[in-house]
Amino acid sequence: MAELKFRRFTLNQRVQHIIFFTTFILLAYTGFPLKFPDEWWSKWMIESVGGFANRTFIHHYAGLLMIGVSVYHVVFHLLEKPRFDVLFNLKDLQDFQQQVKYYFRYTDEHPKFGRYTWKQKFEYFGAGFGAVVMGFTGILMWHPFAAMQYFPIGFIQIANLFHTWEAVLASLAVFIGHFYDEHFGKFPNMSWITGNISEEEMKHEHALEYEEALNNPELRINNNKNAGIDQVPNNVLIVTTKDTAQGESKTDQAPNNILILGLAKMVFTVVFLAICAWMLWISYLVLVEAVNTYIL
Amino acid sequence: MAAGGLVVSGQTGDISCFHCHSKEVNDFQKSIHFNKDISCTDCHGGDIKISGDVVSIDVMHTNFTGAPSRVNMTEFCSRCHAEVTKTYEESIHWQKLKEGRVEAAACTDCHGTHNILSYKNPDSPTYSEKIPLTCAGCHENQTKMQAWYYGISTDRFDTYKKSYHYKAYVSGGGVLATCSDCHENHDTRPESDPKSAINPANLPATCGKPDCHQGANNAFIYGGKVHEGQSVYLGFIDAKKLVTYFYIIMILFELTFTIGLIVLGITSNFELRRRH
Repeated sequence: MAELKFRRFTLNQRVQHIIFFTTFILLAYTGFPLKFPDEWWSKWMIESVGGFANRTFIHHYAGLLMIGVSVYHVVFHLLEKPRFDVLFNLKDLQDFQQQVKYYFRYTDEHPKFGRYTWKQKFEYFGAGFGAVVMGFTGILMWHPFAAMQYFPIGFIQIANLFHTWEAVLASLAVFIGHFYDEHFGKFPNMSWITGNISEEEMKHEHALEYEEALNNPELRINNNKNAGIDQVPNNVLIVTTKDTAQGESKTDQAPNNILILGLAKMVFTVVFLAICAWMLWISYLVLVEAVNTYIL
Repeated sequence: MAAGGLVVSGQTGDISCFHCHSKEVNDFQKSIHFNKDISCTDCHGGDIKISGDVVSIDVMHTNFTGAPSRVNMTEFCSRCHAEVTKTYEESIHWQKLKEGRVEAAACTDCHGTHNILSYKNPDSPTYSEKIPLTCAGCHENQTKMQAWYYGISTDRFDTYKKSYHYKAYVSGGGVLATCSDCHENHDTRPESDPKSAINPANLPATCGKPDCHQGANNAFIYGGKVHEGQSVYLGFIDAKKLVTYFYIIMILFELTFTIGLIVLGITSNFELRRRH
């Protein structure tokens, strides 16, 4: 019995993703308490990393690491082989229209997504834009007096403003949008660790890409021993042969797995809702501050 | 400095002035002056040799000076603190006092009267952590600051609260710069004064104090609008407003779309099929 798997992320990309999200979480965790020092959670969060000096250290060096991984990402993917299906095109607009129609029951047909959906493209370029904004403004704010040898103080103030706003925007996009779309809605989505998605997921989430991959024999690899699996490039089918004995033992364990999965989903739901509430609180605070300062 | 005075404020705590002026003496006993063996009479005059047994106001109050007027305050303090009084008399506070604006800050407004504490004492209004509150006492007061002859803005403490200096301190980062670190404590001068620490020409030196931003001396610091937050103008457009409006729209857009699509998605068949 053959099982089809699809390579979605190479090892390199998975490591980049892990470094990027780890630094992102650290930066959000050590950054927002400084912006809102009067909230009760700020004091608690700063205590939890061992005081203000540690907070500053973590924020600065996690920031540097994020800049590093972002630069690496751009350089590596330009040198490797730039791919153009990640750019926006007309089909994204059509997909979006069709998806909205589908949600409002004007059509029964959900759009067939290619390798990247329009939402994923927004998230990707949003992360890119965010990394550039946060990186440059962050460096200006790290050494304001060195920066002021080249720029007037107004630039530092603008950098400060950009840093806060972009932090809120990026955190909303990641902690609510990306978490829901990729991890909560598709729970348990393990492709960020294994790099593969199942045939079923592929058919459902990326129908267009699935058809293309099936019709292209060059993209097929028989991999019986799971050997050298990390050298498999993206987009490629991996056909593995399932051991029937293993299959049987898996069905025996199924109820157990459901229990663990259910528990994991419950924990994840609570964490997800808590983070959503926190993000909404933060957006409320910045919006109120902006309205008080600039509009009223 | 204070000589004698031991009859009135000895280590025994027997202070004859206490019989009538109990509140003042209670306050005074907590002060740094009491700890340094300075007595009531060192400031107020009067005869220290008279004991508490002789209860006669006339006798006890020989050569007594009560509370000094605000303009004469420096005359009291300068008996011991001559050097610092001279510095204070350079300040805008003293100049306004001399002009007859009696609400301008005199020594006691910051340091207290009988209960004067060392600036190293955490309870003191001149302790570095308490300085913003001490200054805000007058500088947030609408009636005082917005008088027709001043017109000083009252948002100085509020704008300071938005700075890294304040936020880092509240978050437990130790005391960074407070009011007096930039504006000077005794020698407070307005921005327009060329000798002022916050005059644009002196800002590099003020920011570049040895314990602060060393090396800031050659920095390219424009203007003196630290509290307001200086902006950059693109033609006639304020860049700060532009950035703020852009992100307000982006965030509202982001929230509406993300939450809207989540809600629509949950109710659609596509999501149901995913979990079949």
